[in-house]
Amino acid sequence: MDARLTEEHERVQETAREFIESEGGIDLARRQIDGENVIDDLWDELADLDYTAITVPLEYDGFGEGMVYLAALLETAGRYALPGPLPETAAVAVPLIRDLGTEEQRSRFLPAVADGDLRMSVAVYDDETEPLPGSIQMGVERRGDEETTEFRLEGTKTLVPYAAETDVVIVAARTRESQGYEGVSLFAIETDHDAVEATRMDSLDWARPMYELSIDGLTVGEDALLGPLHGGGSALVTAMDRFSVAGTAMLVGAADRAVELSAEYGNEREQYGHPIGRFQAVKHRTADMWVDMQSARSLVYYAAWALDEDEPDAARAAAATKSFAADRLHRVFGDDIWNHGGMGFTWDHDAHIYLKQAKSWRNFLGSPEANRDRLIDSRLAAERKR
Amino acid sequence: MDFSYTDEQDAFRRELRAWLEENAPDGWLEDPELPDDDAERVEFLRDWQRTLADDGWAGVHWPEEYGGRGASLIEQAIYREEMARINAPPQINLIGINLIAPTLIEVGTEEQKRRFLPSIRSAEEIWCQGYSEPEAGSDVASLSTSAEPNGDGEWIINGQKIWTSYAHVADWCFLVARTDDSGKKHEGLTVFLVEMDQDEISTEPIHQPHDDRTFNQVYFDDAVASEDLVVGEIDQGWDVVMTLSAFEHGSTSIYTIEQRYLDLLEYCRTETRNGTPLIERDRVRQQLADFDARIQAAKATHLRNVSEQMETGTPGPEGSMDLLVSDELRNDLLNFAVNLQGPAAALWENGHNAFDETSGYIRSYGAWIAAGTGDIQRNIIGERVLGLPKDIKSETSHRSE
Repeated sequence: MDARLTEEHERVQETAREFIESEGGIDLARRQIDGENVIDDLWDELADLDYTAITVPLEYDGFGEGMVYLAALLETAGRYALPGPLPETAAVAVPLIRDLGTEEQRSRFLPAVADGDLRMSVAVYDDETEPLPGSIQMGVERRGDEETTEFRLEGTKTLVPYAAETDVVIVAARTRESQGYEGVSLFAIETDHDAVEATRMDSLDWARPMYELSIDGLTVGEDALLGPLHGGGSALVTAMDRFSVAGTAMLVGAADRAVELSAEYGNEREQYGHPIGRFQAVKHRTADMWVDMQSARSLVYYAAWALDEDEPDAARAAAATKSFAADRLHRVFGDDIWNHGGMGFTWDHDAHIYLKQAKSWRNFLGSPEANRDRLIDSRLAAERKR
Repeated sequence: MDFSYTDEQDAFRRELRAWLEENAPDGWLEDPELPDDDAERVEFLRDWQRTLADDGWAGVHWPEEYGGRGASLIEQAIYREEMARINAPPQINLIGINLIAPTLIEVGTEEQKRRFLPSIRSAEEIWCQGYSEPEAGSDVASLSTSAEPNGDGEWIINGQKIWTSYAHVADWCFLVARTDDSGKKHEGLTVFLVEMDQDEISTEPIHQPHDDRTFNQVYFDDAVASEDLVVGEIDQGWDVVMTLSAFEHGSTSIYTIEQRYLDLLEYCRTETRNGTPLIERDRVRQQLADFDARIQAAKATHLRNVSEQMETGTPGPEGSMDLLVSDELRNDLLNFAVNLQGPAAALWENGHNAFDETSGYIRSYGAWIAAGTGDIQRNIIGERVLGLPKDIKSETSHRSE
């Protein structure tokens, strides 16, 4: 047992920090917010640093690392709300292709991802108000016989992160009438088909664009089907867990920064003849922010490790991570605004960037309530077995 | 990063688990109940600790040369977890085992170690810790209990201590007293080992809200300690206080809280209201899941902290987080448990319910204050971890600096 990040993890965090700061730090997010697309250039650089190859298996030109390594990196990315589909690509799509893909699919996608030539995202929602898995409704028609199977996709996926900035989107659809994650199949769809169109949505978090992806009668071959027909559901659940942990790792990094900002301001800003950090109302609130951030970090580390090791409590740990962080880190960012007084409630201050990210993350991939439901069901099942 | 236990750590767990199966007090594994009668309870607990000590399961973290197992911090976590799993009886000499002995091992004389350590382990001599005073709670440095040399190689102690757990049954007191009041508050303090069996020492129990009387006021009226019972240097007691403080903040009660949680889970699964199990209520499920997440977080945080500490060798201020998180969690959990009792929450003892936590709920307010209130822990985090300016009051000192 050594529950710390390794020196290698810490080195990655350090180099990532130096790199992102040299590129402008959180200004990258601000430029993205202002309507510039910083992702293309940034992605090339991320690829040069091999970040895009982290989770790609060794035999496909990657580093074969897992969630722990990625979480360490994403934590640093989160400090700067770094734009780009790194969680979608490295935490979701790559492991799905690695685990479900045919040899042909792996060879087609993975080395390209590792090189930075291919970015990926994931389309699960069909409805902006329905939770998963109820939202997965898009039906797919199967055509042809065993020899010449084709699939026709028709419909609109929504809330697809970075759809226009990615080359391939993994689309979750129903290949037979079913409920829940039963009967769900996954398709790797290239976004440059004429039949596929991405329309930008007005996302709460402007640094993280969301799209509607309309698929207008797209016919694809069997080589687009990822994993077993009708049987992509359980892999999707694990993929969502990885996504949850990856996204939360970014929030933890952001929260770490928010605590830092509050602590700096507490030392700097004077009122009534004292730095405000001397007053317990401010000091204790900042201490509580730190405790919540550290707790979320512990959950991320444990869940990342459990996912990598395929531990029996990995899903429960991921649900705990998402539910805890979605509620409590959101409060950390709010408290950071509060600690800064009027200054905190300005566009120029970074606090709102983090707050918006956290709020939009709250219900994405399952609300805290839904994750707590999963968590308690899994805890009860585990206890029955004891 | 690796959260898995080594073969050696697994073996430690198996050995302890097997030992507990074999040696837990009669009937304890089926029905963990302490005797109601105070005197009987003390005897029961002394027996229990002797049993542990006899087979080397008391003070496992002490070096082997003093009767411990030199257990690593991870093994100590395993130890706590396994003890919690059987709801093991508390160790009556826990203050001696966890705080005073490690401090003596670090800063005591060889003679003091030889004299005291064996009887601490076996609970043959029970210890209390004389820190707080009516006018100096968390602010230990401002205490006024005095010790003056009488010229015959003895120190004469006068003053009053308060909140002293187990003083009524203690044989010895780890006492901090003022030996020089000419300098700054935290200078001129000295730590003494004081024998409690003196006519010049009297204790008066404090009646606690959960109807217990386990802590006391202690009065010293020309009490005596010989000079070989000074710990560390004269007037340098603050360093000793700090050494002990680090041990005080360096442990966690998360595993006992987890056990209470699992008991509560079981209760909610079997207990019905209007024919429906509690566990089927959405609000109950949500709340239990939130506790689960918080417990998972606290455990992982503790393991991160001890992993760090195993590398650096010294406990950091992060221990304050363990304490803060556990205290709040315990209170929230027991508060919720009492709420679940329905109208019976109005009863002190609601015997028909399997999960009776009224008294534990009340007691949890005390745990919140022990070892420094949550506010003190937040100060430690704010100042020592986050570098915020010191409180106006704490510019001079507070207990946990």
